[in-house]
Amino acid sequence: MEAGLRENAAAKRAFVDLDRWMERYQQADPEAPAALVAALSPALLRFFRSQVASREQADDLLQDTWLRIHRVRHTYRPGEPVLPWIYAIARCVRVDGYRRSRRITMHETAMEVLPERPAQREPRNTLPAFETLVAALPEGQREVITMLKAGGLSLEEVARATSSTVGAVKQKAHRAYEQLRKLLHTDARDGTAGGAQ
Amino acid sequence: MNCNDINQALIEGSIASRLWPEVEEHLRNCARCRELVGALSAAVPEASPSPATLRQIERGIVADLRPVRPIAPKLSIFGAFIGIFISVAALGVYRLGAFALGVMSPLQTCVILGALAISTGLLAYSLVNQMVPGSRHRIPPGRLPFGIAISLAIAIAVLFQFQHEQNFWAKSWACIRAGTSIGALAAVPLWFVLRRGAVLSPAMTGAATGLLAGLVGTTALEIHCPNLDARHILVAHLGVAMLGAITGFLFGLAVENKIMSRRP
Repeated sequence: MEAGLRENAAAKRAFVDLDRWMERYQQADPEAPAALVAALSPALLRFFRSQVASREQADDLLQDTWLRIHRVRHTYRPGEPVLPWIYAIARCVRVDGYRRSRRITMHETAMEVLPERPAQREPRNTLPAFETLVAALPEGQREVITMLKAGGLSLEEVARATSSTVGAVKQKAHRAYEQLRKLLHTDARDGTAGGAQ
Repeated sequence: MNCNDINQALIEGSIASRLWPEVEEHLRNCARCRELVGALSAAVPEASPSPATLRQIERGIVADLRPVRPIAPKLSIFGAFIGIFISVAALGVYRLGAFALGVMSPLQTCVILGALAISTGLLAYSLVNQMVPGSRHRIPPGRLPFGIAISLAIAIAVLFQFQHEQNFWAKSWACIRAGTSIGALAAVPLWFVLRRGAVLSPAMTGAATGLLAGLVGTTALEIHCPNLDARHILVAHLGVAMLGAITGFLFGLAVENKIMSRRP
């Protein structure tokens, strides 16, 4: 249990020197884009995978994010943390993508409402995967937990990325953990009841 | 230690560093927390983009790679917003005349102009942060315009008396017209400063910018208009700021829709 948590926290250490690469990116160093894309894309893809249904959509959002990052790279201030800057852009791309897909769906199938991504049930008596676990949460809470857990961002960084305050982020995370606790407990109880039958 | 403390430890990441004895003891006794910590401690699965996707992204970036100058420091942008505000408000007062200063009490003058100055400062600071993704927001930018509008309305209602005046709408219309012209004049340079940044939420930023531009008109009217009826000030002076916020919001919404329809 401890090792797993350590492993997740260690994700953050993979982001060392990002600010230096960002500065070089702004100075048009041709090595910088490759370094940044390689370092950040897996985390961004995890962020999108926990928010959208399909791998294809997540890949599209990843590409859109890098296009947007490239267009607004001048707005990164050297010395400022890179992750909140990146995630704020990724979050905006994700919201735009969601609105766009909703608009297309509404055009194509009138009166049909986009369903919330259902929580996929894992086989009983095993721990659910992270994406499955957070899929049951409301969007705002899911986003915060994904950034904290999968992205390795600190509370302050999540607050910056979501244009929010640290207090609001803490509150969302607290509610998310409460809800996850209830869901996990219900699942475990169902599993036990199912096993007894 | 209780379940809330476990939540707190999870949120602050202190469980990640080591399991404290009291945490371990609580986990032994609490099945719900044990399940939660167990589920969260499972490593987040790797999600690696395909090499082809990464190559495509890199190629796209490198093809258009040229040096860029980082955006100006926060203080410079803040100064630009305040400079625009003061210049345009001063120009408006110069054109219209400062008749209200002679009829308002010192308390009314200090409080209303102070409230407008604080509102302007907060809005300008919020806009500076909205221009740079991932900035620290001490007040959520979506709530700030509402907070400012409500605070100003309360200040006006408390400071000034409600009177019954004749030709209310004719007098109000004259002030609204003068105020909105000044606001529109301020909106142009504000927009020029704003476009240096990356506005991620055009509707929200549009509302804040519109409110700031409208407040320029409101400030000029507060210094110019000698009508001290609270209803007149609320409708014709503060109304200019509200009109600005609504126009900015609608403009931002139109920009959002345009962006949405442009992308595949």
